[in-house]
Amino acid sequence: MDLEALVACFGSLACVVTQTTSGLIVGLLLFLVAAGLTLIFGVLKIVNFAHGTFYMLGAYIAYSVLRASGSYGLAVLAAGAAMAVFGVAFERFLIARVYGGNVLMQLLICYAVVLIFDDLVKLVWGADFHAMGMPDAFQRAPIFIAGGVVPPFYAGLIAVSLCLAALLGLGLGVTRIGKIITAAADNPQMVSALGINTTALFALVFGLGGGLAGLAGALAAPVRSLSPGMGFSVLIESFIITVIGGMGSIAGALLAAIGIGLLRGFGTIGFPLFTDGLIYAAMILVLLLRPSGLFGREMV
Amino acid sequence: MTPLAREGGIALIVLALLLGAPALFSSPAFEDFIIRLSALALFASSLNLLVGASGMISFGHGMFYGFGAYAFALLMQRTALSLLPAFLLTLGLTALAALLVGGVCIRLKTIYFAFVTLAIQMLFYSVIISWESLTGGDQGLRGGIPRRVIAGLDINHQRHLYQVCALLLVVGLFAMRHITASPFGMTLRMIRDNEARAAFLGIPLWRPKLAVFVLAAVFAALGGVLASLFVSGAYPELADWPISGQAIFAVMLGGIESFLGPLAGSAILLALNDIFTRITEYHGLVQGGVILLFALGLRRGVLDFLRRDRARGEAASR
Amino acid sequence: MTKEGVCRRTVLTAGVASMISMPFVARGAGNAVRIGVPTVLSGPIALLGTSSRNALMLEADRINAGGGLAGRKIELIFQDGKAQPQETARIAREMINSGGCELLIDATPSSGAFAVQEVVRDLGVLCFHTGSETSSLTADPKLRAPTAFRCARQGVHDSIAGGAYLAQFASEHKFNKWATCSPDYAYGHDTTVQFLDFFRHFKPDIEIITQAWPKLGQPDLTEVITKLIQAKPQALFTLLYAGDLSAFINQGNVYALFGAMSVCTPNVDYPVLNAIKNLPDGIQSGTRYFEDFPALPANKAWGEAYRTRFGEYPTNWSWQSAASMMFLEAAAKKAGTADGKALVPVLSGLTIDCPFGVDGRITMRDDHTIIDYAIGWGHTIAKPPFITGVKAADWGQIIELETAWKKQQGYI
Repeated sequence: MDLEALVACFGSLACVVTQTTSGLIVGLLLFLVAAGLTLIFGVLKIVNFAHGTFYMLGAYIAYSVLRASGSYGLAVLAAGAAMAVFGVAFERFLIARVYGGNVLMQLLICYAVVLIFDDLVKLVWGADFHAMGMPDAFQRAPIFIAGGVVPPFYAGLIAVSLCLAALLGLGLGVTRIGKIITAAADNPQMVSALGINTTALFALVFGLGGGLAGLAGALAAPVRSLSPGMGFSVLIESFIITVIGGMGSIAGALLAAIGIGLLRGFGTIGFPLFTDGLIYAAMILVLLLRPSGLFGREMV
Repeated sequence: MTPLAREGGIALIVLALLLGAPALFSSPAFEDFIIRLSALALFASSLNLLVGASGMISFGHGMFYGFGAYAFALLMQRTALSLLPAFLLTLGLTALAALLVGGVCIRLKTIYFAFVTLAIQMLFYSVIISWESLTGGDQGLRGGIPRRVIAGLDINHQRHLYQVCALLLVVGLFAMRHITASPFGMTLRMIRDNEARAAFLGIPLWRPKLAVFVLAAVFAALGGVLASLFVSGAYPELADWPISGQAIFAVMLGGIESFLGPLAGSAILLALNDIFTRITEYHGLVQGGVILLFALGLRRGVLDFLRRDRARGEAASR
Repeated sequence: MTKEGVCRRTVLTAGVASMISMPFVARGAGNAVRIGVPTVLSGPIALLGTSSRNALMLEADRINAGGGLAGRKIELIFQDGKAQPQETARIAREMINSGGCELLIDATPSSGAFAVQEVVRDLGVLCFHTGSETSSLTADPKLRAPTAFRCARQGVHDSIAGGAYLAQFASEHKFNKWATCSPDYAYGHDTTVQFLDFFRHFKPDIEIITQAWPKLGQPDLTEVITKLIQAKPQALFTLLYAGDLSAFINQGNVYALFGAMSVCTPNVDYPVLNAIKNLPDGIQSGTRYFEDFPALPANKAWGEAYRTRFGEYPTNWSWQSAASMMFLEAAAKKAGTADGKALVPVLSGLTIDCPFGVDGRITMRDDHTIIDYAIGWGHTIAKPPFITGVKAADWGQIIELETAWKKQQGYI
């Protein structure tokens, strides 16, 4: 514990600005992964433990596309699109076959998929870790705001992530299909009784979730190490976020993600050895006091 | 003959076969396999006490497996206790821990119960990692479990460990079988199938749920003790959440509705792992593929599938 | 219907039964010396395992071409222990018990090595640990096994050498305000403490102004990096390695961290150099495996042979694994046999010619760990050979301080 350092940090605008942007960066990238996870759970009541695999594949695809084309924008779009298709295929060919069975059967399938794709990545890209490197457009000196450091690439990431969050919220709240998805999350029987094609809907939700995870992987790739199995730690953290925010709630995931980001940002200064334990404790408390999460609705 | 006597008879025969096997053919690899199988099968069967018999899906059952392993290894390394007291004390401590965890968790339903158990296991794991002075942190409890011979039994000796494991496996499975077949097991099934009706009939729900949670934890710890003896120490991997996954997958592969399903699933899981890690570096790929075939082809555990298949066959021949 | 049902059932039952029984058939090795290699071939550190495997194959082929070990050909059996202790222990036992292996080369990290150590103690076979750097594995007499040898760096050696180098570096540049950033687990904690102990031994007036502890494999190190920058140390010591180090350098670049402070780490090796696109100049680093240090023709030739055959650079584990084969070769020659148990007394105290020795020779000390291997520190440059100005550590000093440390720990 180093509360003195924490107090000192809160007393300095530079420190607050820097650690807040750090927290936002950590949180918003996690949000993109968690958003898909929470959406899939909300509509299909499935915990997609293969979601980290989507993220990993997104990062690797972006790496290869950037290598081949030299365009980072193209790499990000390609990764998102590829993982959206992958998500649909995953739902159609694997998950859809065990609907109505024991939920643990879906878990078994996710496990098999994680095993398979960790090895496929090793087969295609090799066992060693890769780094994509910063795209040339972002090779600039950090910006200073009120004495705090904000790298331009991260400023861009925050903007893109917030835009995606807004688009997602808007899309779900305003468009017809978005409203159907929201309704399906609340009451799937009713949606299906209204004659809406739930088969297509489920595939669409998996596609959306997969696409978001793929985008997150691609957006994070320039600064992270790519290695087989890299999706695992991201899966755990996004899972915690969806549970705290409420399984099925996009707004909850956003707030929980930012909350955890900030906790990490300031936790590293105040109690560097105990941030994880604190996050788990928060998760347990939320589950006990409000099982459906801060923003979730009680499952029927 | 009562079913209990019949099953007791079968258990005795199996035990005799297992204990006699080394005299017929000496295969250290087979003995290792049975040792590992007994650890995983006891663990997976204990999970099925929750999942199959009571409808309580736990994602964090591995914490008791890890708790058993650490508690036993610590008692053996840090105290002068002999084998049996250390073993019994481990089971007692696990029951106590499970009482606390269960008391907090069992009021949550369905998926939330699963999540909160997982969250508590994550916290437990992070405590093991951080509490280096006690647990050795990520490096685990190294240096081996001290040899304390009792009545000519040296548990660090492979053959002796094999015999102990075979005995505990058969006795443990038989005890769990007895629990599910008892009136207590009936109550659990009633709660599983219709909680509202059970409550209406005046059954206080939390008591049997908490009881089975503690029982399952004790049997999981039994598996954990065997695992710690096999590796002669305790390592954080034994308490991490993928270990809970192992038990879930064993249950799902073998069959949730058949009592011996988790045993069969554990054997399949271990055999798949052993064979494929030997043949190929890409064992995950092959193993994942085979698991997918099982899951999509049978859509239920192997034993459940066989039983239904037989039931269908009999119906058709009638 | 009935027939089909029965048939499916029979096939399934038979399949499962045969699958389960398959591993118990013991296999013989003929006249060859079969060596079991439990290693790591999956997960984030798979590269260490595959690069150990490459080096072992390279050496086995060389030795076999020259007639083998005391006339017997070497046959290597590799298996993945997934960096899990229980899995590693299992395959090590299985290799000996039913796999026909006579000895083990244990290319696993410490978690696996300590589990294998118990197996070796139990079975009494010859074993080389080529991955674990944890000092206690051989330094602590309680943990040492009579037939197990460490053919790898030892943590305490690196700490002394690093401490001495950093002290000189700090004095030259008048860097007294230091920060540390190491993985939040036992290796990270213990080794950081040990490094700082020896650092202070050589330069008592340094001040540690902040310490950061990211998780192992933490994908996003942003908050750690900004914390370090704000503490404004003059220099940073980090024990991050492999993928984590590469992520740290890439993410540090985003914040221009390398302009704000001097960074020192023992861990810049070829895979890290390979993965990083914009390597900052002037990182002080130890040499893990480095073709140009020691500057011996044999070392250069070995690195080139490795690269030519496998199309990638060797790692630290590569040389450690290769050296274990060289020890085996020399001991078999001296003893005139390839029998593991007979080689144990020969290996103890054996000095061999070896491209990775600081003077072209490495000794297996009688406490079953190697000395006189190459330890050097230099600084990075953006172009090949990437590390330059390498200074060799003083082994006399290392052994003197190591002995003092062992006394202090109660090991001797």
